[in-house]
Amino acid sequence: MDLLDIRNLTIEMDGPHGRVRVLDKVSLQLKEGEVHSLVGESGSGKSLLAKAVIGVLNPLWDVTADRLWWNGKDLLAMTPKQRRAITGRDMAMIFQDPLAYLDPNSTVAEQITEAIPAGDVTGTFMHRRIDRKTRVAQLLHRVGIRDHDAIMKSYPYELSEGIAQKVSIAIAIAHRPKLLIADEPTTAMEPSTKDQIQRLLGKLAVSQSMSVLLITQDVASILPATQRVSLLYCGQMMEHGDTETVLNRPAHPYTDAMIKMSLQAHAELEPKSKLPSLPGAVPTLRHMPIGCRLGPRCPYAQKQCVKAPLVRHRDEQSYYCHFPLNEPEA
Amino acid sequence: MSHLLEAVDLFKTFRPRRSWPWSKKSVALEPTSFTLEAGETLAIMGETGSGKSTLSKIIAGVEAPSGGELYLNGQKLNYAQSKRRCQNIRMVFQDSDKSLNQQLTVGQQLEEPLLFNREMSNSERKQLIHSTLRKVGLLAEHAAFYPHMLSTGQKQRVAIARAIILDPQIVVADEALVALDPSVRAQIINLMLDLQKDMGISYIIVTHSPQIVKHIADKILILYRGKMIAFNETERLLTEKQQPYVQALLHEHLINHSQITGNSSAKVTE
Ligand SMILES: Nc1ncnc2c1ncn2[C@@H]1O[C@H](COP(=O)(O)OP(=O)(O)OP(=O)(O)O)[C@@H](O)[C@H]1O
Ligand SMILES: Nc1ncnc2c1ncn2[C@@H]1O[C@H](COP(=O)(O)OP(=O)(O)OP(=O)(O)O)[C@@H](O)[C@H]1O
Ligand code: SF4
Ligand SMILES: [Mg+2]
Ligand SMILES: [Mg+2]
Repeated sequence: MDLLDIRNLTIEMDGPHGRVRVLDKVSLQLKEGEVHSLVGESGSGKSLLAKAVIGVLNPLWDVTADRLWWNGKDLLAMTPKQRRAITGRDMAMIFQDPLAYLDPNSTVAEQITEAIPAGDVTGTFMHRRIDRKTRVAQLLHRVGIRDHDAIMKSYPYELSEGIAQKVSIAIAIAHRPKLLIADEPTTAMEPSTKDQIQRLLGKLAVSQSMSVLLITQDVASILPATQRVSLLYCGQMMEHGDTETVLNRPAHPYTDAMIKMSLQAHAELEPKSKLPSLPGAVPTLRHMPIGCRLGPRCPYAQKQCVKAPLVRHRDEQSYYCHFPLNEPEA
Repeated sequence: MSHLLEAVDLFKTFRPRRSWPWSKKSVALEPTSFTLEAGETLAIMGETGSGKSTLSKIIAGVEAPSGGELYLNGQKLNYAQSKRRCQNIRMVFQDSDKSLNQQLTVGQQLEEPLLFNREMSNSERKQLIHSTLRKVGLLAEHAAFYPHMLSTGQKQRVAIARAIILDPQIVVADEALVALDPSVRAQIINLMLDLQKDMGISYIIVTHSPQIVKHIADKILILYRGKMIAFNETERLLTEKQQPYVQALLHEHLINHSQITGNSSAKVTE
């Protein structure tokens, strides 16, 4: 059974320019222990999808879905209190801006200690004190912080952004959640640290059967351990499936473009040559194209594309496009 | 022949919080020297907290160095000489939302540096603003827009327009590409390369991404805990054998700390 099962999730909101559909029939499934990357450019609705899962959407918005299940339970049918209980126990989230999320008035040690479940430390008062301290140090080591003594005593603003991000990861994994949603957790980090964190997330997924939903803008930065990948554009799902298959034989023009525009692909080009890019910019909510929202920027678009494509399947991947690429020879 | 930019032993120290008057200052940047020629791109790399932002802010004159000298075309630049510096060295920040003034139109923001630094008539100013907007791939109409009406990529273009409007010799960009979407990032890199070809601008860019560095940098300066441990042409750094830390930064491998510092204090308890 899927840990998380989302079918045709749609979110609509009333903006100053009328009603807009910010998520358009998005489906996503996540198994226990699976590492899943959600890729899309800014404004594609990645954070909204994450917020729908943890249940912190604006109550004024129209949220509909054929299914929004957590562990077989219908999240949409729950009271806010029931949902908060599930979110608090089973889920954790790391945010794009760690400094905004950390408490500026307490030290790193205090904040991590607070996140360690009370039941985890037992014994006499002194015992608990020492135990907590070693646990904090352990958590810091796990996220690749070496000089834990100095960092434990620091306040968030004394940390560089990368270190602050690591600290927020340590806090997030302290209560051993079932699902960790990492909303672009590694932009502020140098690639070697990023590597370390990604391996760590991959390792945790296996050893604690924790699922990870990694949200990112660039296919280049998806976890090496990612089993599946989903690509979102302007609130519509473009393609999802097995990472290897999708990246090696993309069916969707958007996936294809994202691969060609990724940092990894730049390394193979002649220095200072022109980089490939999709023309134009991501449309604003006010001017969403009808049908397939990639239409105006898609090199393969034709008349049919004003009708939204239905899902199609090919081996290990599913995609939404009238004119798929890399079709096997008939 | 003098260099376009020459840094001699620039350094920066900070007084730690909760310190005694006699306690040692922490060193953000150890004495660093390098040179940059016209039309070249220098990339500054290093792990988090290694002093990249500190160095780039000193170069752009946003922050004063604790010591050392900076020469532009052979002439010494003082921290207080902000006018000469800001005409020749401009900075683009990572967050265009914070660096653009939300209350002013794009045109007004581009006008600001002109009012302070150039003697021009109104119509000349307007012309220059429009031609600069076109250079960065925007339209003259965008002068009337407020920042909130623009997309992230367009805002970053405005930030670049503001940096190049005074026809600077050097543009310093601290992580200015990291927050951009892949398609916009590729467009902005193409734009920067075009401007370099047309206007002969030199760039000093701070980035974590070895792929971007390989693509646009002629030289690389590498910092490790505030110390410059490498400064060389990109070609040579990529082809010659390097120490593990440099290797890791350029090829995205894991850093093994004991190899660099020669101690084993980095034991990991699991
Ligand atoms: N509170 C809100 N009120 C109005 N519109 C919103 C709100 N939150 C998000 N949106 C809109 O919904 C769309 C999706 O936003 P979302 O934050 O999910 O994007 P994202 O994919 O996470 O982008 P990024 O990569 O920049 O974080 C955007 O167009 C955004 O403007
Ligand atoms: N205002 C300040 N007060 C005290 N220490 C500072 C200050 N600014 C920077 N530092 C310290 O100087 C060192 C270098 O910081 P800097 O911001 O230059 O690093 P960086 O290489 O830009 O890191 P990042 O990749 O995270 O942006 C760090 O150890 C930092 O803690
Ligand atoms: S449906 Fe049409 S516009 Fe959309 S991705 Fe496919 S070809 Fe392009
Ligand atoms: Mg987001
Ligand atoms: Mg910095």
